[in-house]
Amino acid sequence: MRLFEATHVFKHDWETVSLANWRKYPNEQTPHVRHVEILNQDVDPVTGVLRTERLIMVRQNVPMLVRKIFGGDTSYVLEYSEVDPRKQTLVMQSQNMTYSNLLSVGEYITYTPDPENSKHTLFTQSAQLKASGALCRFANKIEDICWNRFQDNAHIGKLGLEQVVSKILAERQAMTMPLAQTASD
Amino acid sequence: MESIDKKCTPLKREYDDCFNKWYSEKFLDGKESSDCTAFFKTYQKCLREALKEQGLTKMIDDARPAIGSVFSDMGEDK
Repeated sequence: MRLFEATHVFKHDWETVSLANWRKYPNEQTPHVRHVEILNQDVDPVTGVLRTERLIMVRQNVPMLVRKIFGGDTSYVLEYSEVDPRKQTLVMQSQNMTYSNLLSVGEYITYTPDPENSKHTLFTQSAQLKASGALCRFANKIEDICWNRFQDNAHIGKLGLEQVVSKILAERQAMTMPLAQTASD
Repeated sequence: MESIDKKCTPLKREYDDCFNKWYSEKFLDGKESSDCTAFFKTYQKCLREALKEQGLTKMIDDARPAIGSVFSDMGEDK
């Protein structure tokens, strides 16, 4: 078993980053994420928490050997998230469904206001990678390969989210610009 | 972004657009009730048919306990 852990501070407020999280795909940084479907979504009438279940389809460019071992390059991930607008927390948990008898990847992500600067957003990510079944003999090697792949994806994921944030900020500016011009006329 | 079944794509887009607007303009401001229920229903009708056709429903139901989801099943309106 290998654990991947990372933290990152986005220099944008939590509202903007949490919106960017919903608008993250499609994203040119993450072409491996092909489809994202909402399976269930509601607001808890008691707590006001937004609860969402999503299906994510990923197609990775993987070496032929890996494709042969796993029998394909397409995998499905199930993700559940809760957004508490009062506490300003976004928590996401996900698990791969395809090939999980060979390699299990469980991920836990949080977005909260940065305790050191409430105008920034603290992102934490932890993932558990565990090879099993027929791959047990090669567990260390397989987990290493996947850990590296995970690290690469985590990096481009952050770049992707930053891009979406920039897009949101540009849209907001475009919306306020005509108003500002009218006001100064 | 395309849906896993192309015919659901326009319905998914309508819902996604509605949701993003509701999320930023209302939900984050504490107004909880969704404006997008009708879009969600038509999108789900199409999607759930596609999931069934592609044989994904059982896999999703089986994986659900591992991620702490509060939702209990697929294919039924709550």
